[in-house]
Amino acid sequence: MSSQHGLRLIQKDQTPKLAIVVLAIVAILSIYIVGYDQGQLFSLAQGNDAYQSMWLHEFTHDIRHAAGFPCH
Amino acid sequence: MNSYNFIFIALLAGVLAGLILAGVNYFVVEPYIDQAIGIEVDNSIAAGEPVNYEELNTYRIWQKDGTFAAGAFLGLSYGAILGIAYVISRKYIPSYDDRKKALILAAVMCLTLYVIPFIKYPANPPAVGDPETIGLRDTLYTSYQLTSGLITVGLSVLLIKMRSINNLKYLIPIIYLGLIAFIYAVFPSNPDSITAPMDLVNAFRTATFSTMVMFYLVMGGIFGLLWHRFKPHEPTRVEAR
Repeated sequence: MSSQHGLRLIQKDQTPKLAIVVLAIVAILSIYIVGYDQGQLFSLAQGNDAYQSMWLHEFTHDIRHAAGFPCH
Repeated sequence: MNSYNFIFIALLAGVLAGLILAGVNYFVVEPYIDQAIGIEVDNSIAAGEPVNYEELNTYRIWQKDGTFAAGAFLGLSYGAILGIAYVISRKYIPSYDDRKKALILAAVMCLTLYVIPFIKYPANPPAVGDPETIGLRDTLYTSYQLTSGLITVGLSVLLIKMRSINNLKYLIPIIYLGLIAFIYAVFPSNPDSITAPMDLVNAFRTATFSTMVMFYLVMGGIFGLLWHRFKPHEPTRVEAR
């Protein structure tokens, strides 16, 4: 901290907790989409048909296999 | 700390590495997936099941095009995890250069979240895996990843807290190997038998292992370069009267 011309300069260097929370949410949502969805996410809008078509699952299919996640 | 820059760096590094992974996989891994799907179709025909080629082709186009978006999502996820781990552990990672620090952390993350789980549950191409066991296999893989992550985090904290003790840095790798061997022995094996030709399975595993290790290192490299460029850790100066 220093004082100059009546101003104090404060150095602020804290762990960015909010940013960590944002990144954690992004990580969980993204990993769910890529690694785990079997129709559940689209079923919120599409109903039971989503479990048959599994569009999101098929969309991530090849990367899911390549990244080592169990697929089907 | 500039939080916006921090989030931007983590996600951008992940997305770029994910897109590069998808681009490389398109040429290196996709041929094996095509072969494996061909085997699945042959098995369905042999079993007397109807095969809808039009639907199959639609799915294949969707799957291949989706590789790039899925690669970006994969990158978002692991980029976010790398960012969180980096901002917490940065001051403890050896080296004064953020580019080297990021690469070291990405390598540790690769070992923890990919290589160790791969040794127990190696990647399989399509044509391997019973849909009835997907829930169990997901649970096993995730639990293994999380346990491996907890071991790495726990021992890292131990190393930092007790770094004044002589020879601890030599003891930690031995404890690590012991714990990894323990979880390897304790966790159940993949319940599904491999019904596809082993040549194809092994070629797929070799290709995906190589590209995934590349993905982590590329992500660490980009993350380090961006961090070095934007320096989000530099203190925010707030003027107060």
